[in-house]
Amino acid sequence: MRGLRRLIIGATIAAGIAVLLYFVPLFHIVPLNQAGPHAANATFDPVSFVDKFWTERLIPAASKAVDAAQLVAAVQQDPEAARQAHGHSVGLGSTYCYLVSGTGRVVSLEKDSVRLSLLVGKRQVQVLLQTGNIFGNVVRDGTGLLNVNSFANSQDFNALSAEINRRIEQQVLPQLRKRAVVGVSIHFVGCTEITEEDSDLQPLRVVPLLVEVQAP
Amino acid sequence: VTPLVLLLLTVLAGCGSGSPAKQGAPKIAVIISTLNNPWFIVLGNTAKEDATRLGYDAVIFDSQNDPAKEAAHFDNVIASGYAAVLFNPTDADGSVANVRRAKQAGIPVFCMDREINATDAAVSQILSDNYSGCVALGQYFVKQVGETGKYVELLGLVGDNNTWNRSKGFHSVVDRYPGLKMVAQQSADFDRAKALEVLEALLQGNPAIDAVFCGNDAMAMGAYQALVAAGKEKQVKVFGFDGADDVVKLIAEAKIEATGMQFPKLMARTAAESAAKYLKGERDFPQKTPVAVELVHRGNVNKYGDYGRKDAK
Repeated sequence: MRGLRRLIIGATIAAGIAVLLYFVPLFHIVPLNQAGPHAANATFDPVSFVDKFWTERLIPAASKAVDAAQLVAAVQQDPEAARQAHGHSVGLGSTYCYLVSGTGRVVSLEKDSVRLSLLVGKRQVQVLLQTGNIFGNVVRDGTGLLNVNSFANSQDFNALSAEINRRIEQQVLPQLRKRAVVGVSIHFVGCTEITEEDSDLQPLRVVPLLVEVQAP
Repeated sequence: VTPLVLLLLTVLAGCGSGSPAKQGAPKIAVIISTLNNPWFIVLGNTAKEDATRLGYDAVIFDSQNDPAKEAAHFDNVIASGYAAVLFNPTDADGSVANVRRAKQAGIPVFCMDREINATDAAVSQILSDNYSGCVALGQYFVKQVGETGKYVELLGLVGDNNTWNRSKGFHSVVDRYPGLKMVAQQSADFDRAKALEVLEALLQGNPAIDAVFCGNDAMAMGAYQALVAAGKEKQVKVFGFDGADDVVKLIAEAKIEATGMQFPKLMARTAAESAAKYLKGERDFPQKTPVAVELVHRGNVNKYGDYGRKDAK
């Protein structure tokens, strides 16, 4: 009788522990890509942030873009003065990003870019408008409108770049690829980054934000 | 390299003695996540040297990647009347409580390299822009490996934000190319010996890979060692991250493809100078200062060395 009572008490305790462990498990097994602190930024919504940023801040800022040919001349003349006058940099580093605009004639269509020639006086400046996959922070940082310290962590700040780039790929590049043919004139506003003055100026690589293709 | 690391550790064990700082100078603690990695030794030593140069008595503490040891160091620092902490955290979430305790005790904390998941605890955080560095690395990876191929990824510590910033930056590029297949992704804890062991095991099941992406240079060195042992070092391309001197040298010798140069000396110097300014009364610091990571490859490797750019001012 005593043995049966012990068995019932034991079974009740075991069942209680089992129920407790079901609701409060000692450990969870999660895939590597869901482990770690990167899962913590679920509350930030880069899509809606960029949606608002694009129409309310980015497009209005286009009027403040520096002329691409003028920028090239300014960097060649005095890189530090050009950085101070027109460049944006997040934190410490030797790369500066710029919001630029210009109008040029299409001279060739390349694998992931359209090559433009901008004639300013006697100077000719080559610009490569990017038409392939867009990577990096050139647009996020090039406008100078977004501050890393306004975001809870660096992952949220980086998610902005991915979303801005996705938007450019979906909304800007298809039109550019479709309508750019050799000989037509294109007006663009976009962002460029310059790290090495000896290799990043000719051609100037620009991620376009706005493009207007003018009839030949 | 292990004897070299041991030698450096021996030198570090004596830190605090023989410093040029005046006797009775305020003390600054340099708490580093691990000294079992040359990159962190450079970070810690530079922070100590700069704090000493600025007139403080600096002491290095090694957390050995153990949050419990890190917490004990903070207890020690708070009890011993340190004036400031130059801090390289072990865990983005777990280290927040330590920083808060120091703050409550009136000790300012300046994070270096690694982020904590709080913006109201440390005075400032000088952080490597890992994500962007790995975006650039990912683009170079596609250029070198091509748009088709099989690769392995060795991750760092899974609790560290940098591990995922690097991995996500890399994948934001490489995943756009469906022909590039990741056949294995495993953590080797940022550790060279563990990377050697992990890649040796992975090569058994995946003998025909084209590349290995490693979340830091210590793991890249371990991975390269595993490939040499398997006789595959010429067919498998290795990519690292950190800008460690041994990897930069192997890039120059065309044995490793590329790395992302972080700037441990720049970060340590900025943190030490911020601490000195804070202790003199300045309070206006940005919470986060990202430090750009630069891609180092065969074409530009001659511009880099000694954990930075050779032409740095």
